[in-house]
Amino acid sequence: MRLLNKASVRYLKQHRLQSVLSLLGVALGVAVVLSIDLAIQSARIGFQVSAETVAGLATHAIQSDRGSIDEDFFTRLKLDLNITEAAPVVEGLVTSTSLPGRTLKILGLDPFSEGPFRPYTSGNSPSLDVNQFITTQGGVILTEELASEGGLTTGDSIVIFSSGVRWALPIVGLFQSEDRLTRSGLSDVLVMDISGAQEVFGMVGTLTRIDLRILDSERSYERTIGEITDNLPSGLRLENVGTRSETMAGMIRAFDVNLTALSLLAIVFGMFLIYNSMTFSVVSRRTSFGRLRALGVTRNEILRLILREAFWVGTVGTVIGLALGVFLAQGLIGLITQTINDLYFALSVREISIDTVSLLKALTMGIGATVISSLPPALEAAGSTPRAASTRSIIESKTRRVIPMLAWSGLALCLLGWLVLLLPTRSLSVSFISLFAIITGMAAITPLGTVVLIEFVQPILSSFFGTLGSMAARGIRTTLSRTAPAIAALVIAVSVTVGLGIMINSFRGTLINWLDGTLQADIYVSLPGPQASRASGTLSDSLIKDFVSADGVVGYSTYRAVDVIRAEDTYRLVALELDQRGEGAFDFQSGDSDAIIRDFQLGRGAIVSEPYAYQRQLDVGDSISLAGEKSARSLPILGVFYDYGSEQGTIIVSRDVYNTAYNDDGVTSLGLFLGDSSQSDGVVQDLLDNVPVGREVTVRSNATLRSASLEVFDRTFKVTGVLRLLTFIVAFVGVLSALTALQMERTHELGLLRASGLTPAQLWRLVVGQSGLMGLIAGVLAIPVGILLSIVMINVINKRSFGWSIQMQIDPEVIIQGIALAFFAALLAGIYPAFRMANTSPSVALRRIGE
Amino acid sequence: MIESGPSVEIINVRKVYPSGDEQRAVLDGASATIRAGERVAILGPSGSGKSTLLNLLSGIDEPDSGTIEINGLDLRSLSENQRTLFRRNQIGFVFQSFNLLPALTVLENLLLPLELIGKTGNEANERARFLLEMVELSKRADSFPDRLSGGEQQRIAIARAVVHEPSLLLADEPTGNLDEDTSHRLMERLEDLLTSGKTTLVVVTHSRDLADRMDRALALDHGGLVEY
Repeated sequence: MRLLNKASVRYLKQHRLQSVLSLLGVALGVAVVLSIDLAIQSARIGFQVSAETVAGLATHAIQSDRGSIDEDFFTRLKLDLNITEAAPVVEGLVTSTSLPGRTLKILGLDPFSEGPFRPYTSGNSPSLDVNQFITTQGGVILTEELASEGGLTTGDSIVIFSSGVRWALPIVGLFQSEDRLTRSGLSDVLVMDISGAQEVFGMVGTLTRIDLRILDSERSYERTIGEITDNLPSGLRLENVGTRSETMAGMIRAFDVNLTALSLLAIVFGMFLIYNSMTFSVVSRRTSFGRLRALGVTRNEILRLILREAFWVGTVGTVIGLALGVFLAQGLIGLITQTINDLYFALSVREISIDTVSLLKALTMGIGATVISSLPPALEAAGSTPRAASTRSIIESKTRRVIPMLAWSGLALCLLGWLVLLLPTRSLSVSFISLFAIITGMAAITPLGTVVLIEFVQPILSSFFGTLGSMAARGIRTTLSRTAPAIAALVIAVSVTVGLGIMINSFRGTLINWLDGTLQADIYVSLPGPQASRASGTLSDSLIKDFVSADGVVGYSTYRAVDVIRAEDTYRLVALELDQRGEGAFDFQSGDSDAIIRDFQLGRGAIVSEPYAYQRQLDVGDSISLAGEKSARSLPILGVFYDYGSEQGTIIVSRDVYNTAYNDDGVTSLGLFLGDSSQSDGVVQDLLDNVPVGREVTVRSNATLRSASLEVFDRTFKVTGVLRLLTFIVAFVGVLSALTALQMERTHELGLLRASGLTPAQLWRLVVGQSGLMGLIAGVLAIPVGILLSIVMINVINKRSFGWSIQMQIDPEVIIQGIALAFFAALLAGIYPAFRMANTSPSVALRRIGE
Repeated sequence: MIESGPSVEIINVRKVYPSGDEQRAVLDGASATIRAGERVAILGPSGSGKSTLLNLLSGIDEPDSGTIEINGLDLRSLSENQRTLFRRNQIGFVFQSFNLLPALTVLENLLLPLELIGKTGNEANERARFLLEMVELSKRADSFPDRLSGGEQQRIAIARAVVHEPSLLLADEPTGNLDEDTSHRLMERLEDLLTSGKTTLVVVTHSRDLADRMDRALALDHGGLVEY
């Protein structure tokens, strides 16, 4: 059907603005989804490459919860158990003044054991002079790229800080690997001799892990595994290397799912937009389709024609979206890795990895969504009789008849979504499907809401603005087949913005309340850690002694945190020496707080955070186990406390209990309580003045730590903010497209009004006023929908994702912002058509042949 | 194309439209026979159901009861798709409001019915250009319909209706928008185009003059068809 295709292309060309907006809608939708996907994939790949490069060809590793293994065990492993392919590793994170803002990983290795593991560091590596590497105290090697980034070269020293202590490490060589992946995996790594690394991390005599190479193909595989397992000292475990990486990667699962779901909203908006565009495109050509049907074009031919058109719009839009998505991903990767760093683990990804699967997924989604959302108008056009297709009133009366049924279906969909949410499942995908069902259901109720609101508004407008006011309102109702989808798209966009706004505000408010209760000490002391949200490293004993006996300090609590990463479980273990003044820091879900804390102090059990208990379905009275180097023991859960510091969950035991299981006297951070007469800021300054030269320590007042924590929170929600903005832009383009088409389609009618004596200014007011009214209606309808969405997001999605209880807070500012956003977006969308109509001669407008 | 136009049998046809809360029968027991190759005018006042009758004859619409047979073929026995294909192949329709496709040029408007029946290329092009010459609009071949005057659009509509040599030509007020002289000239051209006698012609009109040019005239009266 060459001529039909030609007519299609001509239509798209003649309605250039409309076509461009359609393409833009598809492109933006695809770009948002792709960029999130690419950024997350890149973060995952970056993590994987780094983990694989660092692990090299190791198949297994001997680990401990604390990352501290007595090196005698390595000797035993080699000599007594005759495990030849074993390599000791000391690993840790540091910061560097030469490379500000970067978190570097020091990998301490024994070059003589490295042969089978990491070819780039073995004695045979061309880039490594083993003698110099061993004999230069603290000598490091790094990639050429990293060195040049810091303006360093062989012979220079790189200044690092580990546990607050300054080290200047001489650079003894640069990696010159040809392999891009190896270079990328080592992009943040300083390799040094194991003894130097032990010194830097204060781990003389201990190892972080022991890498092993036990091949599955060996006949002695099972026996070797068995022998090692049987001889493992308490607190150590043998793990498959891949499993550990997967466990760590799994930590960002909820983060990943939430971002992906949010990005999918963009596609949903994109689909609304396409639906709108195609509906307009079909509706505005209904006469043409009627003529074609009268000439003998069959329903299937019309259907194929519209779907073909949608396919091409989808394809071109998607291709543009792919390019845009790659560009956008470059910007998002920084935000996403920052959040992963803040909340999960140290990660540095500098560039995105463009993976074919993500591209294909986005391509299919873009084209598929376009074609699917074109299906209803295409079926509508193809299904109508030649006479009905050419009669506008038939379409409108049909739309009016459909509205109650649509509203009932929407209500049913909402209820169904709600019922699915009540199912005893913790699946996030199910939750998001329910959420989407509720959103779609709400969109279906919108036309009825519009009719009801117009009934209410029309007399008011009529009394204030006369006939023009009445016309503006009535025009929306009499052309519902076109106004309703536009209003629905705006309602959904604004409701999501309002819902996210309420959720973020509620979360922030809950966090502030929590911080107010939790931060009981006056001053907090920790080491400047590479990850913003958590303290790491070990404070020196002398520093602790000096600080707790400083002037003004009347008491202290110590805190030791260990991130336990096991194949079967990941959580944070905390040993707490709790001062009596800090006993009010915990807000328990149930039970008598005083009694819980008393039992805790007496070492009768552990307290666990809400996410820990929720994710493992544990409660007070259940037990948890501690498996340290000294002993393994089981403890009852005394209480479940509200906590927003760790998504994986936290177990807190008293210091005494911890010391019975672990061979560890270290303190990660310190809380100091001051006497009534002491001022925090003055004491903070005194303490900082007493820090020895060459050491770094972070001393913060209660208020400073509180605001630093909120800074991390705000940074974490930056990605959400960006996505919120992007989805709104997609929706705005949709509304712009819909309103433009709507007003353009009224050319003839508006021409008649001009011919009847309406001035350009009056016409301008009519068109802009009608657009604004649609925006206002959308804004009003969006508020209850937004509140409903926030309830679902806070009580279901958030709970299932992270296990946090959030107190809902509806800030009037968010509501006003939502309504204003809808109103002004619609007003803006009405400006161009109003300008065009007001400047079109009535004769030209009247002359146009109805399409 | 069949050798001689089809015969048309309208048997007790009833068609009702909603009018407010009530139903109004536009056609009520209309019956008539039109012989193959005959040229018939249908007369009647506005709202008497003339256009409805043409829609029923073309299969664009269906009667609520009664039968329409074209060459013995009951249109109601056809599916929607079969009716569309029947229309595509057998019927030419001159619409009252021309119904030209605005996205296609004048020449392309004429080529479309040919393309629908599978005729493309030079043969189709020559046929379309021949008809444009017949209606004296060769020079406007590449113009879009909205650049033409009402009379020119009417001529193109007629050319398009006959371009694929339909066996049944239905014309709804083909001269309704034209002055007397132009109407005469246009009907002469239409007759020229149909001289072969292969086409049955049904014309709906208000015009007595136009009716007089036909072999006979029928009038719509209270929903029924009577000889005029």
